[in-house]
Amino acid sequence: MSAVPRVAAVAWLESLRLRRTPTTFTLLILVPLLQVLLFGYAIRPQPATLSVAIAAPQRASVEALAQVLNRDPDVRIVAIGDVGDAVAAVRSGRARLGIEIPAMRSFAFPDAPVRPIHVVIDTSDASLAVPAEARAQALYWRYVARRARVESSEPGITVERLYNPQARADWSFIPALVGVTVMIAAIMLGAIGLAREREVGTWEALLALPTRRWEILAGKTLPFLIIGLAQGVIVLAAGRLLFDLPLRGAVWALLALLPLYAAAHLVLGQAIAARAKSQMAALQGAVAFYLPAMLLSGFLYPREAMPAWAQALGSAFPLTHFIAAARACLLRGADAAAVLSAGAPILAFLVCATIVALATGRQID
Amino acid sequence: MAEPLVEMHGVGLRLGGRHVLAGVDLTVAPGALVGLVGANGGGKTTTLRLIAGLLRPDAGHGRVLGVALGRRPSAERLGYMGQRLALYPELSVVENLSFRATVHGCPRDTVDRAIADYGLASVAQARLATLSGGWARRAQFAASVLHGPALLLLDEPTAGLDVVTRAALWSWLADLARRGTGIVISTHDLAEAERLEAVLLYHEGRPSQQRSPAALREAYGAPTLEAVAMARAAT
Repeated sequence: MSAVPRVAAVAWLESLRLRRTPTTFTLLILVPLLQVLLFGYAIRPQPATLSVAIAAPQRASVEALAQVLNRDPDVRIVAIGDVGDAVAAVRSGRARLGIEIPAMRSFAFPDAPVRPIHVVIDTSDASLAVPAEARAQALYWRYVARRARVESSEPGITVERLYNPQARADWSFIPALVGVTVMIAAIMLGAIGLAREREVGTWEALLALPTRRWEILAGKTLPFLIIGLAQGVIVLAAGRLLFDLPLRGAVWALLALLPLYAAAHLVLGQAIAARAKSQMAALQGAVAFYLPAMLLSGFLYPREAMPAWAQALGSAFPLTHFIAAARACLLRGADAAAVLSAGAPILAFLVCATIVALATGRQID
Repeated sequence: MAEPLVEMHGVGLRLGGRHVLAGVDLTVAPGALVGLVGANGGGKTTTLRLIAGLLRPDAGHGRVLGVALGRRPSAERLGYMGQRLALYPELSVVENLSFRATVHGCPRDTVDRAIADYGLASVAQARLATLSGGWARRAQFAASVLHGPALLLLDEPTAGLDVVTRAALWSWLADLARRGTGIVISTHDLAEAERLEAVLLYHEGRPSQQRSPAALREAYGAPTLEAVAMARAAT
């Protein structure tokens, strides 16, 4: 008897079990949608507005700066006061940025020394510190230019933003989210599914049947190729409909990568479960894989900001290559060859995961 | 004389640095009904898993269905029913049996015959999760034998069964043995073991010689297998 009917029987069994477990099936569809909504509407790497407190001994200085700040829609003045009030506002958490303008030499303060403007930034959230400082610098130079009346006499600069003109965070997140949702679902299903089979005894029965180990692995993987593809389509469709996500490049090539990508993680999940003693251990193993994958892949933080060793480690994860391919395809309009080239490292990962899963999969319980 | 389905000589196994089995000598001829008998944790399940090729021995030698012990015997000729209910609870009886029939490459009418033979018609469309323990065990038994195995391995098949289902199971086993199936059954029910042609009485991973229950009782000068077991445990 050829292997095909046995693989097909295992695939039929798995798809039937998935359909009969409504919670799992619903989660496979709802979780991607929920993530698109969260990353589309809620998650932003930087705050939309910067809260600023201003303080100076002279009312005129404060008002001049406030006029500059009020012209910036992304700045919100939360406090105006006397010397020390801006620092106090930042320390109390009311403002992210405090500007203390020193006394200017004037009729009221004829002997005031020339001192720099003192800016205080709340850096308890380090990711907000650099943008806040950059904003403070920009505000200062705008203020200086206004005082020196050079704003209209200099040519200035023009900035052209390629691919994502409004620098929308959702356009950056959603292509990556395709890879993240498929990765988490596949690895969880692979790991917990097999661990559960070992606990209830169906794994022992499967091993005693004529099905070979690779046939079981292939049969269990097949239904998820379709589910992984469906999850990817759902994320892309939601991104397109709700957030005008551009689909510029060879989208078919990106979709063609998805089954391979899903298979890599499902097989890895099974390899983890083969080593785990319980469902809980399998779950922990799955989390131990996908957390670093998310952190090192460029999903949340740019890989360019990481040290070389972290970038090298990140390259081992299929998610890293998938995110690069998805952003290149959807935002930069990459062609099929460029998108499909991400398949090579993902395929290499699948081969390694398969070897590990087959080598360790004979443990009964 | 037909070649034995199972031959084991001095077979032993260590797991986690501990001897879980030692000195197993077992022969199962076609049509024989052999029991692995003894308390829980005695090594009965491990012996069945060794025969099924799910574990590899690290002492002794033997053959199962013409294949060296430790290698996987032909699964088409082997029926294996584990101690746990190894059917899928989300699937109906008929779906579980269809899966087994397909992987064994059985003809189309196999599932219908199994359902008729083992009295499963009234629950055929019911999901396993909704069945009582007795019905689920029947379904599991049907799934283990529907492909007509030459050798059938059963791990505690009667545990937790009601009297009627238990009697039905013994009658099916007798019928299969009459048709030439070699059967190895594990049980810790010593009264039930009196029905068997030959038994190995296990104690802490060391089985007795394979003998008929009567011969074993005689060898130990004990009136029952239970008394034999107590005597072995005392030594």
